[in-house]
Order: sequence, then C-alpha cells, then structure tokens
Amino acid sequence: MKQHLGRQSGVQNVEVSLLDGKVDVTPKEDGQIDPAQLLKATYDSGVTVAEMDMTARGKIVKDSSGRLTLQVEPNRSFAFAPNDLSKGLESLAGTPTTVTLRGQLYKKREGKKKRELSAPLTLLILEVQKKE
Amino acid sequence: MNTKRIALVLLGCSMVVVSVAQAQIKHLEMRVEGMT
Repeated sequence: MKQHLGRQSGVQNVEVSLLDGKVDVTPKEDGQIDPAQLLKATYDSGVTVAEMDMTARGKIVKDSSGRLTLQVEPNRSFAFAPNDLSKGLESLAGTPTTVTLRGQLYKKREGKKKRELSAPLTLLILEVQKKE
Repeated sequence: MNTKRIALVLLGCSMVVVSVAQAQIKHLEMRVEGMT
C-alpha cells in the first residue's frame, strides 16, 4: 500500500504504522495531491479507510450554491460540513484572510463496508489552527 | 519617484504570489482497517 500511495500524484512521502493502522501522507509542495484520489487508491490496494483527516491552508470562499468552502488551490476547494467552527468562519468568506484548518474529510459509516467513492468529500472542521 | 512606485508594485505582486503559493494541503492522515 505504501508504494501504491507513494506513486499517486502530489505525494511526497507515505508513512505507515501497522501497529495502530495509521497512514501519514506528506504532500509535495506542488499542490497536486487529490484526497479523493488517495482514498480511492487506498481502497484499490485492498485496505478499508475508516477515517481521513486533513490539515490545509487556504481561503474561505462561497461556492456557486452559497456553501462555505476552503479553497486550497485555484481549482480545488472543499465544502464545509456545517458546525460551530464553520459558522465562526463565515465572516471571512471572500476576504484575503488565510486560515489553517484541521478537519475530517471522510469517516466510514457504521455497517458500510465501502463508501461511495463518487460522493464529494466535505470537510468537518475539527480545529482552526491559524488565521492570517 | 518612479523607482519607489515600481518597488511598491513589485512588493504587492510578490505578496499576492506568496499568498497563493501558501494555500495548500499540508498533511493527510488516514486510519485504516484490514492492513497486514
């Protein structure tokens, strides 16, 4: 699995801990990493993903349907799953303020063996680390 | 005067470039099951 993930676009380094079932992925600085693709690649390697967390830096923007998103690249953004932390960022939408967030992109639903990989990932904010 | 204006424009441009370049995914962590 480590080799399979390491070959994915935008991946700098992959660390696998067999003991606690943790996989750490360090992205390259070219910003080409795609978490959805990584999730699919992990499933393709025969492993079930229980949870995926992401730390990312970007700007808060509203998408065409008015949802708050974190824009990490000009063509890549993640819609927020609404919670108290996402509400607190509403005032930053469309401003030049850059935020660093840690959030959950995916969590396996109980009773489901495999997620629908076509479903878009939403970001449940767990921690707002920095506002600049 | 012109030199000062050019310097300010360059400073502004570099700030925009740095701001865009710093927006990125910094780390991903997965908890997986069935790994051997």
